[in-house]
Amino acid sequence: MKVLRRSIYVKLHLTVSSCFTLAILFHLRRRVNLKTVMELICKLEILADAAKYDASCASSGSHRKRSKHGIGNTEGIGICHSYTPDGRCISLLKLLLTNVCIWDCAYCINRKSSSVNRARFTPEEVVKLTMDFYKRNYIEGLFLSSGIIQSSDYTMEQLIAVAKKLREEENFGGYIHLKAAPGASPELLLEAGKYADRLSANIEMPVQEDLDKLAPEKTLMTIENTMADVKSGIDAAKDLTKKNGDAPKFARAGQSTQIVVGATESSDTTILHKAESLYRKFDLRRVYYSAFTPIENTNPLLSKLPTPLMREHRLYEADWLIRHYGFTASEITHGAKAENLDLEKDPKLSWALRHRDYFPIDVNRASARQLLRVPGLGARNAARILKIRHYHQIKLEDLAKLRVRMANAKWFVITADYNPNVYQLDAEKLEERLKPKAIQPSLFDSFTNTALSGEL
Amino acid sequence: MIQISIENNFTSWRGAARRCLQSEIAPDEILWICDGRNGLFESNLAEETDEQIFKVPLDFLPLAETVVCFDAAERWSLLYGLLFRIVHENKNLLHIESDDDVRRARLMEKAVYRDVHKFHAFVRFRRIEIDGKEIFVAWHEPHHHTVMRSAPFFARRFGAMRFSIFTPKGCAHWNLENLTFSEGVVSDVVAPLRDATEDFWLVYYRSIFNPFRLKINAMKKELPVRHWRTLPEAVLIPALIRQAKELKSKKRR
Repeated sequence: MKVLRRSIYVKLHLTVSSCFTLAILFHLRRRVNLKTVMELICKLEILADAAKYDASCASSGSHRKRSKHGIGNTEGIGICHSYTPDGRCISLLKLLLTNVCIWDCAYCINRKSSSVNRARFTPEEVVKLTMDFYKRNYIEGLFLSSGIIQSSDYTMEQLIAVAKKLREEENFGGYIHLKAAPGASPELLLEAGKYADRLSANIEMPVQEDLDKLAPEKTLMTIENTMADVKSGIDAAKDLTKKNGDAPKFARAGQSTQIVVGATESSDTTILHKAESLYRKFDLRRVYYSAFTPIENTNPLLSKLPTPLMREHRLYEADWLIRHYGFTASEITHGAKAENLDLEKDPKLSWALRHRDYFPIDVNRASARQLLRVPGLGARNAARILKIRHYHQIKLEDLAKLRVRMANAKWFVITADYNPNVYQLDAEKLEERLKPKAIQPSLFDSFTNTALSGEL
Repeated sequence: MIQISIENNFTSWRGAARRCLQSEIAPDEILWICDGRNGLFESNLAEETDEQIFKVPLDFLPLAETVVCFDAAERWSLLYGLLFRIVHENKNLLHIESDDDVRRARLMEKAVYRDVHKFHAFVRFRRIEIDGKEIFVAWHEPHHHTVMRSAPFFARRFGAMRFSIFTPKGCAHWNLENLTFSEGVVSDVVAPLRDATEDFWLVYYRSIFNPFRLKINAMKKELPVRHWRTLPEAVLIPALIRQAKELKSKKRR
């Protein structure tokens, strides 16, 4: 009986428009107002669905103690409370306040001319959902975005109202990420930063030509001005902290942005250079990359093919090299065979194969910077190697025990013992050998190439 | 071979380890027993003193405190072996992360950290009322002995809510002022309770899923299947995967 009930429950949950059936379920179970519950569930369905194209779900980098009678804190390390079958983490309740939008950006599902169902939450509804979810330990906090209604300023005011209610009325100490509407006035951004841990203005396209074609209402300049305003808020709070030892909090977890990949012709080279300049100019914490998937009634100007998820994955790897491994965007892209990153090899390996004169690296002598350039050797292991070699000569087996990815690393290093692989460094065949082994396609699996789907 | 019986906690092991070290007993001569009975020592061991006779590097303590939470009998002997080698062989042993013992200890440490992290992530409270008082209850199945390590996080975060977390390895209770612990319970006592908010959570879970980006292995890596039975949303996973696959084959045609 219990099993049966469970399966009915799952079915009810999964029927395409399950709002109604679910609401009845609620009504039977608890005597609540059917109409209210039904409305709320439908809104949640529409506005969570609309929010899922924002890749960010980070909740790290902010510290806030719980206030005496409040609920919630942040302790620096974000927590992923769940994962959906797309492999993405659920850390925040990610919602749009409304998916109504006056803009018509071709790549966006919520654009004015799109035929999606529209809905709008009241601030009270978002606040209640956030608190209800948070108290059950489903989430770290709220990521609230919105379509542009009336104007950027009006939209920003609506978002701020929710965050303010959470902080001041509910004494909520969890994480809040607010979308910074491009072009919102500096005063509003400053107010948003008071309540939010993170602000983000999405750039979406790497060059103005793409925006001109696809998002005529948007300009890179407006978006970057918004980023600059946020940055000055963050800097001012930092300066005050330095001077007085303390200052009102302002977007402690910094700002981030997102670039849609593959909707236009813009190459990975263009995208990475743009990302690098954004990191430099605005001290962004993260740039997110989102592989474009054409959906029903997609604008004809856009790519008809879905972007391989592997392309997105390679961009994240390259981005990581820029932020943590001392690479520059031009190093990663210069000399490569194509304008896009190699889908078969990770960008560090590709770079190493193009710069074999840089190797071999002697792991017992090399600097941290050099170690970080070895394919298959990560930052944590580089730090370990630097420590170990004070006391102990590093051999090949030490690297294997540290779980360095030997298949890649062994061609590029000199160790205290004999490493025959390193003599192959200049061999033309090396590139062939480092290709991922062709996967024997199974009968059931013939279309899904794991490497290209990005399932790693 | 001598048998040393200790309680399942760090202090008990440390006391015994100090005395063994003072008596210069080699690691392979000790059989560590931790079966829930009180600590008993062989009488020919040195008495425990307060004097700090052995200098142990600073990073050994946090490592040992973490490794004792690992759910495997070998942890006691591994730690004593490390301690013995640090004192007699090389005081810098812990820096040599490619050493087999150090590596095993570090892997156990990592597993415990991960278990604590997943504890913080996967506890799901249900709100119930007892005598008109609101209380939040949860059932969780940790892999290691991580209840005492994980519970303070919930007290810091949800200090204004009464809660109880039940697990087979111990239970934690917060009464708005103090955190107390009790013996573990065998079965999921929270299962029959209902909380209407869970339905909203399930609606959210399936709506935020993007069926065009199915990555089953990536999900399973972070959300191991053994945790599914304690997570309300996991009941949707098989059906969501099926729907995503249908969508894909429909598109191909």
